[in-house]
Amino acid sequence: MTLRSEVRAVTPTAPVLAMIAKMGTISPVVALLAAVLLILIVPPAIFLLNISLHETLPDGSLGAFTLRFYHDLFSGRFFLPSLGNTVIYSLGSAVIAIVIGTVQAVIVERTNTPGRDLAFLAAILSLGVPNVLYTVAWLLLLGRAGPINDLIALFTQNPQAIDVYSMWGMILIEGIGFVPLTFLLMSAVLRSMDASFEEAAIMAGASPLQAFWSITLRMGIPAICALGMLIFVRTFESFEVPALVGLAGNINVLTTTIYQSARRTGVPNYGESGAYSICLILIVTVLLIWQTRLARHAHRYQTITGKGFRPRIVDLGPWRYLTAAVSILIFLFVAVIPALMLVFTSFQPFYDGVRIEAFSRFSLDNYRVLFGPGSFRDSIVNTLVLGTATATIVVPFTALCAWLVVRRVPGASLLDHLVTLPLVFPAIILSVAFLNIFVNMPFALYGTLLSVIIASSVRYLAYGMRYAYAGALQIHPDLEGQAAISGGSRAAVFRRIVVPLLAPTLLNSWLLVFLLSVQAVALPLLLVGPGSEVMAVTLFELWQNGQVTELASMGVLWMLLMTAVSTLFHVMTRRRQLTI
Amino acid sequence: MSPFLNGTLRKALRTNTLALFAALAMGAAFGTAGAQEILTNRSADRERIILDGARKEGRVVIYSAAIVNQALRPLAEAFMKKYPFVKMSFWRGDSEEIIAKLSAEVRAKNLVADLVEGTGVGELAVEATLAVPYFSPMVTAMPEQYRDPRNLWTSTRISYYGIAYNTRLVPPDQVPKTYDDLLDPRWRGKLAWRIGTSSGTPLFLSTIRLARGEEKANAYFRRLVPQKVINFGSGSARTLVDRVIAGEFPIALNIFAHHPLISRAKGAPVNTQLMDPVPSTSGTMIVPRGVRNPHAALLLADFILSKEGQQILANADYFPVRTDTPPNDVLAPVIPSRAGVPELFLNSDQLNQYTESSQKIFDELFR
Repeated sequence: MTLRSEVRAVTPTAPVLAMIAKMGTISPVVALLAAVLLILIVPPAIFLLNISLHETLPDGSLGAFTLRFYHDLFSGRFFLPSLGNTVIYSLGSAVIAIVIGTVQAVIVERTNTPGRDLAFLAAILSLGVPNVLYTVAWLLLLGRAGPINDLIALFTQNPQAIDVYSMWGMILIEGIGFVPLTFLLMSAVLRSMDASFEEAAIMAGASPLQAFWSITLRMGIPAICALGMLIFVRTFESFEVPALVGLAGNINVLTTTIYQSARRTGVPNYGESGAYSICLILIVTVLLIWQTRLARHAHRYQTITGKGFRPRIVDLGPWRYLTAAVSILIFLFVAVIPALMLVFTSFQPFYDGVRIEAFSRFSLDNYRVLFGPGSFRDSIVNTLVLGTATATIVVPFTALCAWLVVRRVPGASLLDHLVTLPLVFPAIILSVAFLNIFVNMPFALYGTLLSVIIASSVRYLAYGMRYAYAGALQIHPDLEGQAAISGGSRAAVFRRIVVPLLAPTLLNSWLLVFLLSVQAVALPLLLVGPGSEVMAVTLFELWQNGQVTELASMGVLWMLLMTAVSTLFHVMTRRRQLTI
Repeated sequence: MSPFLNGTLRKALRTNTLALFAALAMGAAFGTAGAQEILTNRSADRERIILDGARKEGRVVIYSAAIVNQALRPLAEAFMKKYPFVKMSFWRGDSEEIIAKLSAEVRAKNLVADLVEGTGVGELAVEATLAVPYFSPMVTAMPEQYRDPRNLWTSTRISYYGIAYNTRLVPPDQVPKTYDDLLDPRWRGKLAWRIGTSSGTPLFLSTIRLARGEEKANAYFRRLVPQKVINFGSGSARTLVDRVIAGEFPIALNIFAHHPLISRAKGAPVNTQLMDPVPSTSGTMIVPRGVRNPHAALLLADFILSKEGQQILANADYFPVRTDTPPNDVLAPVIPSRAGVPELFLNSDQLNQYTESSQKIFDELFR
């Protein structure tokens, strides 16, 4: 449609955003989206609520009504200390992730630091490593027999100077684990941020650091808040690091406390865990309301207007070598060191520290096991289909939701709440919930890959939403208003104005959802049947049954595969002139 | 449509629906009764009946906790080579996951699994009333204690438990040889055990309770508390042994006795010490209530318990239940009878009876 025909198409009924925003009723698009979400999210939510309010019988069915789990949760002698630990742990991890990730994003997007593309490689590499493996790699590194302690012992004679099984160990490992996520989101935000404000500040005599502090950072506040919330909630319900690192040091957080209650008998009882999730949902709802309030002043952060702009690159002069050093350091910590630990371990018959004699034991045996008969080859296709389908469902859906929410279309805040709910469902409960839903379907959905795709889309909606939301917040309604006045329908405005402007954010979001959904274990585990297995479950099986060296070799293979997928994605988007 | 006709039609529909339901219910009742007859058939022509039936069924699905590459896949290949007319497929999960999936299927009457196997599966399934009795003539080849008098489960593989120690960190003359040796102050903060799984801490505590009686056991536990045993929270017994090898923990309690031997054979600084008594449990196999392919399920059960099937498990470093199938040579040192250490076998009923109360003791004293 040419511009002229669009202009001709202006009719009195043409939707003008401002008018629609003032309408008191819920817009049909919102109603439709909300209906889809309700169908997907309400059943597991009801399951969650039910499981928290009823005894679970030995055969897995629900028994008598009870408030016992809520009572146990709050009255247990472990509750208060665990809560304290959880808050410190979550805040600490969020601070580490946001500080490092933001610094890295600014260096990459706003300065002429050499070698800054490494950061993307680092982010992709480390997002490709499943959480369990990543934590194991860090424990191998920082553990009592790890190379860092050995190195310190050389100078101080103290063989166990660092104790990683401690609060700081947990914070460090979890925080660094979230750096790639922060980095990707912040870099997308910075890229779409008009640099003219920064330029004005610098022209007015501010130093680049001042401009960064008082302009760039402040403009990024909505994104930082969105991230902060995401990380805070994720760490509140994270399990791998608290279990692997915290428990060994006798540091309990709420998830590990609940885990110990749930596993008291042979048949898992998810009551307390359900009660905890319900409480988390309430907390998240409060956070969301607060965030919505913040967004009420969204116009302060809207930097994408009708004017053309190009993000400004600051010439740091000789300082760029310092930022290069910082960048490389982050690269080392986020990707190279954990990856190297895995590679080293994967070539060992057993791991007993990084020792000189270990280098003479190099063997390919673990890889032989991996490439042995049958093995995981059947599940590669399933895995790629799962990731691609999930990301392709989640990204456009959340983009539309986020835009409606940001434009404050009536009823849209409901979408935000609905989409964010699954973030709080513990993966195992979501898995049990969907298992019970799918197995009772009158048609053959249970055990199929499609069922995993549906569950996984629900699970990762919240991630897509946070990404799209932060991006959409920056788009000034001017452009859309103009398009609408020129006769563009709402769909056209969304398709031709919003989506292209959001593209960098959406592409990052796609890749993120892909990488997260393929490495999820707890979710697909109960849903897949014979023949629909995915790779992550194989990885998990090695984690349960295999030796750490075999696990490492599978991890290396996994990283290579994910890097290949990400590179392919990169190349394809470049070819279409979309950069991420 | 006239109101009359409408009413008649509705009535007819209702009657038909009722009839349909009655037929379905009867069919289901007959179906289960029939299936049950097949499952517990001990007649002379049992083999012919299950072969003919399995041929018609054409497929069988097992849920198992056994390792895929070394055990399940070779089992499936050998089974399908022997019985090419039955397609065998498998799904692998932990015992808890298996039970979660199975119970959802049984409740929804949408059963996929025909046979279910794993450590802990028997007692969980029996407690959840998910298992129905079945008979396999192969059980005569295994010791009496590994069988269930009610025929609700059969053992498939045995696990022995012991302590793992790092040979660099624990000198040969200091290796704890009895449970009381663990109370030595030199091991304070150096012992680790697995929590959150019934074969971890609860099994350790149950063993002491069964061996010494409640009172003496309780006194022992109170002396163990100051040792500050490290609660290893996530990961399998194998992972814990790997951490002992890495030197993170000098000693791990109640790990699978054969894991350190496998690593030791590769040169790892680790070894197993059996304690008196050696706790042992068995992996168990059940047929789920409402099984779809009862003939094929029996055919597969017989195969897994046959010498051929047990040999495949032995090749995957499991301990077979059959007396005529020895485990791999490397593993022999931890068979209690060969090592001359008494064995304490905890069957499904004992595990059901003791696990929860042992967990309570753990919560009170060690958490």
